[in-house]
Amino acid sequence: MTSALISAIKRLHISVVPQIRVFSSNAVSVPSADQQNTLTVTKKDWAFKPQYTKPREVWIENIDTIEEQKLGLFELHPSVYAASPRIDIIHQNVVWQKKIRFVSWAHTKTRAEVRGGGRKPWPQKGLGRARHGSIRSPLFRGGGVAHGPRSGKTHFFMLPFHIRLNGLTTTLSAKLAQDDLHIVKDLILPTDNPDYLHDLIEKRNWGPSVLLVDDTDYAPRNITVAVDSIPHVNIMPVYGLNVFSMLKHDTLVLTQAAAEKIEEQLLKWLNADTRTQQQAYKLNQV
Amino acid sequence: MAWLGSTVLNLFFKPAVNIVRTRYHAEKTRVIRRYGYEEKIWSGGLLPRGGARRLPMPEYRPAFAWTERKALFGQNDYIDILGPGDLHPVKTLYTVPSWIRGVSGNEYQILLRKRKMWANTGSRETRPTKWKDMEKRISFLYRKLNRKTKTGPSPD
Repeated sequence: MTSALISAIKRLHISVVPQIRVFSSNAVSVPSADQQNTLTVTKKDWAFKPQYTKPREVWIENIDTIEEQKLGLFELHPSVYAASPRIDIIHQNVVWQKKIRFVSWAHTKTRAEVRGGGRKPWPQKGLGRARHGSIRSPLFRGGGVAHGPRSGKTHFFMLPFHIRLNGLTTTLSAKLAQDDLHIVKDLILPTDNPDYLHDLIEKRNWGPSVLLVDDTDYAPRNITVAVDSIPHVNIMPVYGLNVFSMLKHDTLVLTQAAAEKIEEQLLKWLNADTRTQQQAYKLNQV
Repeated sequence: MAWLGSTVLNLFFKPAVNIVRTRYHAEKTRVIRRYGYEEKIWSGGLLPRGGARRLPMPEYRPAFAWTERKALFGQNDYIDILGPGDLHPVKTLYTVPSWIRGVSGNEYQILLRKRKMWANTGSRETRPTKWKDMEKRISFLYRKLNRKTKTGPSPD
């Protein structure tokens, strides 16, 4: 009986998997066997290797033709592009972005600021009327407002650094998981005609609005001219990227260099000791 | 004797009187009183908004969601994370006036900051009434906060 059980267990081929697996391989550009396409598969060697999750692989596309061509495969770090989709963190970030720049300019004048009203309107006694000392009192029509809104009401607050950092990673991850993040090789277009960009977005199903992100301040002329006349297609440098814009635009298109730059910056901060860096911005310290 | 004859005639002669209506009740129109005065109060029954008198609803004109300001809203808000590290997002809030940029506080704190930053800008001379009102408000708030209200618990 026992021997039969043992032999049955042996037949199951249970193998023990090591707990910590390092998924990163060395940076190798492997030209594929498919010679017509010259497909390159880039494996990366990160400074902070992913430990428990696999790197995400994405296609590198081109935008110099309307038809999509896959130019290669590209690895993205899972800590940045495959974080858990925390909707609450995304919401906190969006609320923060709206609030830091919001100032309520609603304003009312108090009884001291309304013109006039220095004289006592009628004598205190003897007329049978209610006693009043100023025609600008809040009781009077045309008088000042008591406890009204006073101009320059801010809603500013600073969201903690790591919530903002996680806001970026979780939004990027949600975009990638929903197939709304595309990597292109560069932003070089053959024409500056906006119709070309319209056709390309239509053909590739990139949705109505597209956010293009490059790692340089100056984009090639053709794409800036084309983007300038389409209001729902916008272009931004890496340092301008933010949670609100990623959510406002349906599709996020990163150049390969921008994706690497974002990954590098976010990985640096995810693994850094930010206490000293944030010390300068701490308020209300004793 | 003539009066006698006429009296007798009147006594016995009764001419046939046929009453002819020339103005029927249904044809009567109401007398218009206070001609030219328009009654503002609705007296036509329940639901004043029914029928021809509708509330003036403005025509729906959706706002354009992709103006440059809206399309690029929030740009550079993460510049301290994604940028070279020498710039804080508060420094890029160019749409907010500098004296209120990146500040949170009550009206007194905001006004103190505004007065400090505007003290050397010539605002005191060019807009003396505004400046006086601000000083007056600051002294009012100082007295209110320090003498008439309880302070909260200490933050430390």
